[in-house]
Amino acid sequence: MQHSVTFTYDDRQAQVTVPTNTLLSEAARLAGVEIGQPCGGQGRCGRCAIQVTGGNVRRRSTLRLSTADLEQGYALACQTVIEGDATIYVPPQEKIERRLTTDRVVAEVSVPADYDYLLCQTVRRLFVSLPPPSMDDQTDDWSRLQTALRLQHSIERLTCSLGVLRKIGPVLRQGEWQVTAVVEYTQPPDRSAARLIDLLPGRLDEYAPLWGCAVDIGTTTVTLWLVDLVTGMVHAQVAEYNGQIARGEDVISRIIYASRPGGGEELQQRVLETINGLLERACKRVKSPDAPLTPQQIVKVTIAGNSTMMHLLLGIPASSIRLSPFITVVNHLPPLTGREVGLAVHPEALVDCLPGVASYVGADITAGVLSSGLDNAENVMLFLDVGTNGETVLGNRDWLVTCACSAGPAFEGAGVVHGMRATSGAIEEVWINSETLEPTYRVIGGGKPKGLCGSGLISLLSEAFLTGILDKGGNFNLAAPTPRVREGAHGGEYVVAWGDETATGEDIVLTRVDVDNLLRAKAAIYAGFTVLAENVGIPLESVERVLVGGSFGKYINVEKAIQIGLLPDMEWSRFEFLGNTSVKGAYYALLDWRKRERITHIARRMTYIELSADNTFYEAFTSALFLPHTDLNKFPSVAEALSRTHKKSEEEAPYATRADTNLS
Amino acid sequence: MPLEIPKDKWPGSVRTVTLGAAAAEGGTRTKTVTIGGQTAMPYLHFEASPPHPPAVAVEIKSRPPEDWSPLLLEAWGELVNDPAAWAKKAEEIGADLIVLALTLADRPEEAVNVVQSVLRATGVPLIVWGPGQAEKDNELLVPVAEAAKGERLVLGICEDKNYRTIVAAAMANGHLVQARTPMDVNLSKQLNILISDMGMPKDRIIMDPTTGALGYGIEYGYSVMERLRLAALQGDAMTQSPMIVTPGFEAWKTKEAKVGSGVPEAWGDWKERSVNWETITAITLLESGADIVVLRYPESVARVKQAIQELMTA
Amino acid sequence: MALTGIQIYKLLPQTNCKECGFPTCLAFAMKLAAKQVELSACPYVSEESKKQLAESSAPPIRLVTLKGVDVEAKAGNEICLYRHEKTFYHKPGLFIRVRASDPDLAKKVAAADAYKVNYVGIELTIDGFAVVADSDLATAIQTIRSISKRPLILIGDPAALQAGLAACRGETPLLYAADASNADPMAELAKSHPAALAVKAESLEALADLTQRIQAKGVQDMVLDLDGNTLGEWLVRSTQVRRLALKNFRPLGYPVLAFPCDAKDEAIAAAQAIAKYAGFIVLNEFKPELLYPLLVLRENIYTDPQKPIQVQPGLYEINQPKPDSPVLVTTNFSITYFSVANEVEGSGLPAWLVVTDAEGMSVLTAWAAGKFDAERIAKAVKTFNVASKVTRKRLVIPGHVAVLSGELEAELPDWEIRVGPREAVDLPAFMKQALN
Repeated sequence: MQHSVTFTYDDRQAQVTVPTNTLLSEAARLAGVEIGQPCGGQGRCGRCAIQVTGGNVRRRSTLRLSTADLEQGYALACQTVIEGDATIYVPPQEKIERRLTTDRVVAEVSVPADYDYLLCQTVRRLFVSLPPPSMDDQTDDWSRLQTALRLQHSIERLTCSLGVLRKIGPVLRQGEWQVTAVVEYTQPPDRSAARLIDLLPGRLDEYAPLWGCAVDIGTTTVTLWLVDLVTGMVHAQVAEYNGQIARGEDVISRIIYASRPGGGEELQQRVLETINGLLERACKRVKSPDAPLTPQQIVKVTIAGNSTMMHLLLGIPASSIRLSPFITVVNHLPPLTGREVGLAVHPEALVDCLPGVASYVGADITAGVLSSGLDNAENVMLFLDVGTNGETVLGNRDWLVTCACSAGPAFEGAGVVHGMRATSGAIEEVWINSETLEPTYRVIGGGKPKGLCGSGLISLLSEAFLTGILDKGGNFNLAAPTPRVREGAHGGEYVVAWGDETATGEDIVLTRVDVDNLLRAKAAIYAGFTVLAENVGIPLESVERVLVGGSFGKYINVEKAIQIGLLPDMEWSRFEFLGNTSVKGAYYALLDWRKRERITHIARRMTYIELSADNTFYEAFTSALFLPHTDLNKFPSVAEALSRTHKKSEEEAPYATRADTNLS
Repeated sequence: MPLEIPKDKWPGSVRTVTLGAAAAEGGTRTKTVTIGGQTAMPYLHFEASPPHPPAVAVEIKSRPPEDWSPLLLEAWGELVNDPAAWAKKAEEIGADLIVLALTLADRPEEAVNVVQSVLRATGVPLIVWGPGQAEKDNELLVPVAEAAKGERLVLGICEDKNYRTIVAAAMANGHLVQARTPMDVNLSKQLNILISDMGMPKDRIIMDPTTGALGYGIEYGYSVMERLRLAALQGDAMTQSPMIVTPGFEAWKTKEAKVGSGVPEAWGDWKERSVNWETITAITLLESGADIVVLRYPESVARVKQAIQELMTA
Repeated sequence: MALTGIQIYKLLPQTNCKECGFPTCLAFAMKLAAKQVELSACPYVSEESKKQLAESSAPPIRLVTLKGVDVEAKAGNEICLYRHEKTFYHKPGLFIRVRASDPDLAKKVAAADAYKVNYVGIELTIDGFAVVADSDLATAIQTIRSISKRPLILIGDPAALQAGLAACRGETPLLYAADASNADPMAELAKSHPAALAVKAESLEALADLTQRIQAKGVQDMVLDLDGNTLGEWLVRSTQVRRLALKNFRPLGYPVLAFPCDAKDEAIAAAQAIAKYAGFIVLNEFKPELLYPLLVLRENIYTDPQKPIQVQPGLYEINQPKPDSPVLVTTNFSITYFSVANEVEGSGLPAWLVVTDAEGMSVLTAWAAGKFDAERIAKAVKTFNVASKVTRKRLVIPGHVAVLSGELEAELPDWEIRVGPREAVDLPAFMKQALN
């Protein structure tokens, strides 16, 4: 029996007549409607979801479709057959992707709802009107200012530096005794103690922008947010490679370099140049009607970063961090000024370096915990920073434990032959057809691919594994029936993109060494949090939420990350991706002294567990050095996916689709 | 006072594996060896007696060994020049199994010949090891597997970098494989998974968790074996294979066993010390769960067999 | 039931005062859970918590100390059945059996007492003597004491032992043995001296009854003789005693005494006793060729399994290297060593492998922690006398520490330093192509 099927897409329509039991995807092809099928029509990826707006169809499989989806008429084109006339709506791809529960988009940042400049901010602009001096009142300028601030703003104890003292005389007279004081409350919420940062002539609009910035000094990348402290709004977000990279890619190399004569000074200079460059760039982004914004107008800086980065920034010798028993010089730093640190901001600006916990758990993590909210959680949560150092925090409002493990930079695209950062040209997702072993990939920015970023590597590893290109040990199956699997310089390799499709003209491949590096990185992270949980006697299943920080790219596919054994096998809804949690935490601390105190509290009560103290970490690491894990029982969803793909390939041979087109 | 002895009740058990095939099963062995089947930790008769005793294998080589201790060469004498006669003698002194180690110098047809002559000279099951280099192993073991089809040989040694060819040859010809990993519970398990993922029936895999000799890391092998056995009893299917270890090889490469002169006086008599070294290594591994111990010295075989008999009776 | 760190934490003050020497109460709680600190380190713990915590931390097997003259042998305080669960703590003492009647007593004791053997830098010795009172014990003890200070086990009936005890005042010997027939006089002897008392019965039930009876007499330090006839029987009993003790069954919570000297194969029985929970072991006579392997086995079994698995640092030969074969360097972490050695072995290419003492860390970890640097590598090359084995001084360092090549050239001026691949899997290709 023949049926008429009408497809609606992009405001256009196409119609085709097909016999009963024709697959919807086949009907679409005959109608000339393109429906992406990255997984090759095997009902694995959920990307060919369409909406049946009318008529009779039968869904063979509804994997990836929720009850709500089904109620709205969604069906998988590759798993649905036609049993009568039907009308089909083909939604745009973006809509499908947004709908997929596997993909978790990194949360956007917004000004905290409870932010109130007058209540939360420690740096304030205060208007002061002083009685002019006279022959009867020969009080000195400084006392006069102190008295006025006491009477008008209740500041009992005012301090300032020599630099500020030098300018108060002229400014008071220039402003004709009407001045604006920029002060920092040094013991919030107590408003009776303050430090004078600057004194400006005349009365300034109290609600005009007052500039501050939040900085995250990463080993690889430095991120800076420029913030108006009055509104709390982020006006610019800029990032740049840490200039220290030229002197070593990891913290250990940097520490060693810093211990050479002049090495410490050089590294300090390099990171200062990076930050100062970012300050310039961020200020240029702010469109100001009057004079352009300059970094010197920034009066408060909050800095997060790992302990090594913090030491190097401040020129504090870092060598003890590296050597057993791994001790930092200082975890809780006193308030500093722009001049002391060498930043191009206002010389008297408050530079607030956030506190760390241990050598390998720094302020980036305490700030990260704050921004994740884990320290206020009632139930146990897990916070993972998927980066080179692989820090993990487990806990709730009662207790916090943390550990760090060296994961290596594979998920940041480093240490992988064709790895790259998650920028334009990076392959961020890969699907492999398990019949033809042909890949489909998506490139950030949509152009020709240059390489693979973290999320691309995760999905490629997972797909290569599920389709049998890799065995569970990460060995390439050289007998796989495709020219894409071949013998390379380091053993087997898989060609993701042939040279004629790439930006460089070179084949983009995944090699055996890449696989080993990725396996090590994911095993280290997995082992880190499992050992941590075991150490405190908390079963992983009882972890309510898993909060993931890190810079993989725009999003990460939870399912793929579970399939390779990077993340624990839990319902996808329990994961939350937070992006750069370190700068976000610094931003919160910049705005609100209460959050700043919370970070101190977090740092003080976090218990650091040294994983190198015994071999339980190594045990957990080797058992995780397998796809997805030596103990498949820990990954029931992956076991199921494996049996599904294997069964699939044994049963019916579905029609072949050459899905080698670009998804984007 | 009446005592209630705490007993472990395990959900899992060690897989029962039979080596060698008699005529009725398509082979030529007059004796087959069945190992495994335990439902308790080693020799804890108050919980469950082991259904089968562990087996003692004697290692011989296809060519006269070049690097063996003079004590070993003296003990076996001229036999080292004739693998068939050597194997026969080993069987006579009590070997339950023969391990025939091929060498790099062997050509494929020579390997086939020596395997067949050893099979003809003995009635016990045979384990055949390649020389230990991936390409050469595959070159020799594939024709051996085909020539001895149906004998239920154990072919070895599969390692994570080279297991596919040996496993495929064993599968196609009804043999077993020895899967070796370097003293690590997870690695043992992983290789077992990789081999069974190829379709190899699990009752044709024998795990070789590797051990160190006494004084050279035996404690690692000891604990790895205990942990593997505990995991097997807890029901982890991928650790339930019986275990083979090579205390003979390990002990006889130590300076204590190999060398007679220029060593500290406190080491005592060379020969007695050497045999103690091999025997103590073997017995310690048996106590931690070994199902097959591969030995080299005749007197050690006798002592270990005697100990096994004692361990099997409570 | 042992408490977890979090459970213990809830019983602590949670003030993070740091006075216990740990940064947080949770850190301290986790150390307590691992039995690595004493609760008394916390000055603020409540009485109620103390009581709860004491329950879970009392040692299930009594620590028994035998004392000679300034020399001790300890057994007990063990907390696990399998060494990987934690570790075995007190190595069983090896005692040599001598007879009071032996005309060569002095000579035999002198030989055994002087015995020293070096194993990986540790000096191993016997722990004491078991003296059979088959003639005047006091005289025999005086003879022994003129030679040896090591602790004693005294074997005989109550009368003989009483005479012997007079000759070892100030010491704590082990008296062997109290059984149903002589428990009272033996307990009296042990209590009055005081000495430790071995207890012997045909079954574990009888043994438990006896220890309780003796304990009621005021003797605390007891040692159990399990009286198994075969290897299998002894193993079963020893395991049962350990299991019961670990379940806090106090009547059998004592160390075990083993007599491999009476077994068919002394070496095998002694090996079993070492691995399977004996606290004191009596050997038939002093024989270095037996003692040495047993002392080594004891070191091995009582090595802390929580430490990373290491291989012995040294110069290893792979595939019969010749003087012109390359010299490779790696660390002594076992997995690192195995992956390098296996790759090279599998390639058939001859090489020397210098395994440095990097405290059991892998290449990158050791480098990061300063345990695998130019100085240490150079020291290893010199210590193992590598230069004397090779004609071509060519040293291949792991690619991960390429940065060390400059410093190494300075440390080893007459060596050619080559940077190898990062991964062991690439070694064979590197050796074929780059090293010719």
